[in-house]
Amino acid sequence: MKFDLAAFRPLRTGLVVVAALTVAGLALRPVESPAWESLRADQPALKLDSIQGALGQGVTVGLLGGFRAIVADFFWLKTNSVWGDNDLPATQTYVHLVTAIDPRPLYFWLNGSRMIAYDMPNWRIQAAGGYDAVPQSVQRKFDEEQSAVAVDYLKSGLGYHPDEPLLYIEIANVYLNRLKDNATAAEYYLKAAQQPDAPHYAARIYAELLRRLGRNREAYDWLKKTYAELPKGGDASFTALPDVVLERIRELEQELGIPESEAYQP
Amino acid sequence: MSSGTSSSSSRVGHTAGAAESGRVPFSFARLRLIAGNTFLEAVRQKLFNFLLLLAVALVASAQFFREFNFGSSELKFIADFGFGALVFFGSTLTIATTAQLFFSEIENRTALTLLAKPIWRSEFIFGKWLGVFAVVGVFCAVTIGLLLGLLFYRENALMNLHPEAFEAGRIVNYADILLVGVLQWLKFGVLTAIVLLIASFSNTNLYTVVTGFFVLVICHLQYLARDAYGNIDNLLVRLPVMLISYVFPNFQLFNLADHAAQGAGVEYDVAARVGLYGLAYIAVMGGLAVYSFRNREI
Amino acid sequence: MSLPPDPSPTASAAAAIEIRGLTKDFPVNLRGIKLRAVDNLNLTVPAGQVFGLLGPNGSGKSTTIKVILGLLEATVGECRVFGVPSGKVESRRNVGYLPEAPYFYRYLSGFELVSFYGRVCGVPKARLCDRVREVIDWVGLSGAADRRVGTYSKGMLQRVGLAQALVHDPRLVVLDEPTAGVDPVGSAEMCELIVKLKEQGKTVLITSHLLAQIEDVCDRVAILDRGKLILEGEVGELIGQRERQALIVDPLPEADLAALKVWLAERGHALAAVEQPRARLDQLFLSKVARPGKTEERHQS
Repeated sequence: MKFDLAAFRPLRTGLVVVAALTVAGLALRPVESPAWESLRADQPALKLDSIQGALGQGVTVGLLGGFRAIVADFFWLKTNSVWGDNDLPATQTYVHLVTAIDPRPLYFWLNGSRMIAYDMPNWRIQAAGGYDAVPQSVQRKFDEEQSAVAVDYLKSGLGYHPDEPLLYIEIANVYLNRLKDNATAAEYYLKAAQQPDAPHYAARIYAELLRRLGRNREAYDWLKKTYAELPKGGDASFTALPDVVLERIRELEQELGIPESEAYQP
Repeated sequence: MSSGTSSSSSRVGHTAGAAESGRVPFSFARLRLIAGNTFLEAVRQKLFNFLLLLAVALVASAQFFREFNFGSSELKFIADFGFGALVFFGSTLTIATTAQLFFSEIENRTALTLLAKPIWRSEFIFGKWLGVFAVVGVFCAVTIGLLLGLLFYRENALMNLHPEAFEAGRIVNYADILLVGVLQWLKFGVLTAIVLLIASFSNTNLYTVVTGFFVLVICHLQYLARDAYGNIDNLLVRLPVMLISYVFPNFQLFNLADHAAQGAGVEYDVAARVGLYGLAYIAVMGGLAVYSFRNREI
Repeated sequence: MSLPPDPSPTASAAAAIEIRGLTKDFPVNLRGIKLRAVDNLNLTVPAGQVFGLLGPNGSGKSTTIKVILGLLEATVGECRVFGVPSGKVESRRNVGYLPEAPYFYRYLSGFELVSFYGRVCGVPKARLCDRVREVIDWVGLSGAADRRVGTYSKGMLQRVGLAQALVHDPRLVVLDEPTAGVDPVGSAEMCELIVKLKEQGKTVLITSHLLAQIEDVCDRVAILDRGKLILEGEVGELIGQRERQALIVDPLPEADLAALKVWLAERGHALAAVEQPRARLDQLFLSKVARPGKTEERHQS
């Protein structure tokens, strides 16, 4: 068979283009790699198997293509829509989907867990006939079930944000407000207070919970330790509230009967 | 004959200063001329105005987030949607405008008139590139400018409504958002050069647009090939996957928007590397477009 | 006022275009099937002449022109413009080109368009404005120079096309079907301009299939068919019948005609034919339609 070399020119051009691009790719890798590693370190891996079923192929490609934030935003708007309709299964599914798509924004974890822990028990009670018709024991059961889901959800958030005090505080609040479990709430407030950049109120609430549990001595020691580390002046003292902490210390000294000579001297 | 006749006795044959002998050097002045013409033609196109309006409308509609009472997180939503509009409409504008402007020259045969002048084909290709880059630059400037304005306006309002969320100062880093906008513009510059490379051997506008979008998707997913080839044992599969990871640039690298939107802060060392990477790819893709276009028979 | 031809020594001494053994194939597929558009063409276009490249559609005229302009690469052979290989950018410095049925950037005015091409061709900025006005005036478009090209008629497009081809004062002007699609008045005006270009010493290469017009303006013609050169020479030599002459007189009565035949026979000549002379239809049309001084307004309308 006879071949015309001129007809192969486009093929030759194509080969030259591919070869040149490969060389460029190799040559630019050292420039690109450090930047890419740095960016990837801040991007949690996509767990596609958990979300692929819920999304179409186009959305999945969008996610892989770097549009996680906006896709998550869209689904958060959708979450808000089904939440407005008191649609429990849909809200629970979308809340989980949003953080599966983009686990980085804390906002999704905190607000998703609030929908699960605080709104859904109400929806279930309403669906079962209302607060008057549903026995207290069943209401308590709904609270416990939804709280368990919310706490699990927040704990999976800790997998992405292990040092995030607000997640510990949110777990603590679920125990405190929904389950009236002061002991576990105190445990999580302690964890929150031990994280870097923890809000100062976490330490104060931990001490307050210890007092409620009758562990005044522990509360007293904790507050003394806390007070020593609090900023005493400037803007930071507006949230640190050292005067309030000192007032609590004095109250505890009275309750514990600590003589004035042994009172805490800041 | 007419006024032609009345003046036709005058000569057009005295030198205009352009007919000296010797080499014709590469000229940035000619490149700028072609770029200027390309820019003018592009901004007169309905597509540019349409996409610009759409992007502006989308960014402006971020006001809609006020309905949800997101608190200070509203700023993240505004930034995400603003960047989304920039990336989506910017990519569409880049691919469609580059292909359209290139093929309007070929199909209307204005390229024939232009390339029959003493100009280099590299001046033509880089002139087209610069013209489209300027058009996309206007688009990016308007979209980012609007986004910055909206964020500033909403942040001030939210600072009054939720002062506790702003104890550590402003949440939005405006310089980072501007930087991300510039890097996206640079990415569109690489995309323009890629579309010109495709157009240089393609026969139709449609083929160029479709292939352009296809390559855009591959460039966004290039990192998957890069992650994968190390784990593939079969050499016959491994080599092509490896080739993909080297042939296509990594467009995810330019995606610093999430960092800026979440206030994570853009590292300037990373931004500088991304900038260098973009400029290098513009040069490589543009050079290859010139190489391929030189072989093209007009 | 008429000025003498350009006495440029290089223009008259060297050939403007030299084509040697030019073959151009377009591959159709990878199995070697190709379309031969031009086949072993040898052609010299002398400087300072109007040269017509004729042939039916598909004869290879446009391909040849594209090779001359460096827009296509020869498969075999070479082409030089004023001694410079046509593939080089430098070869186009002395060439002005008016494409067939030209289309220009519609949103520019005639003045802006010609300025654009002038700047592309490196006309110095200081001279550009005067030069553009001059060349627009020369093609008879002064009145419409500030109008958008998108509003131009076909004839006006040809004129603005010619203006952009001349703006950098090229020594060679290539006109591809300059009268195609233009009405007879416009064609006649274009022919006039071509003649004037020749008077100024420019070399003009025209392709056309409207042979009557070519005949009027060309010094030499070449005829291509299926990519091959089948005839080339001076127009007068090719179509003139040197062994015969035509006398045009008032109508003769039969007796006078008979006497004339006798008179011719006595001197060894024969009267070959007696017929009514006919004017060409385009000449008739022009004599009735053309209104000197109004042409531009007619185009604009």
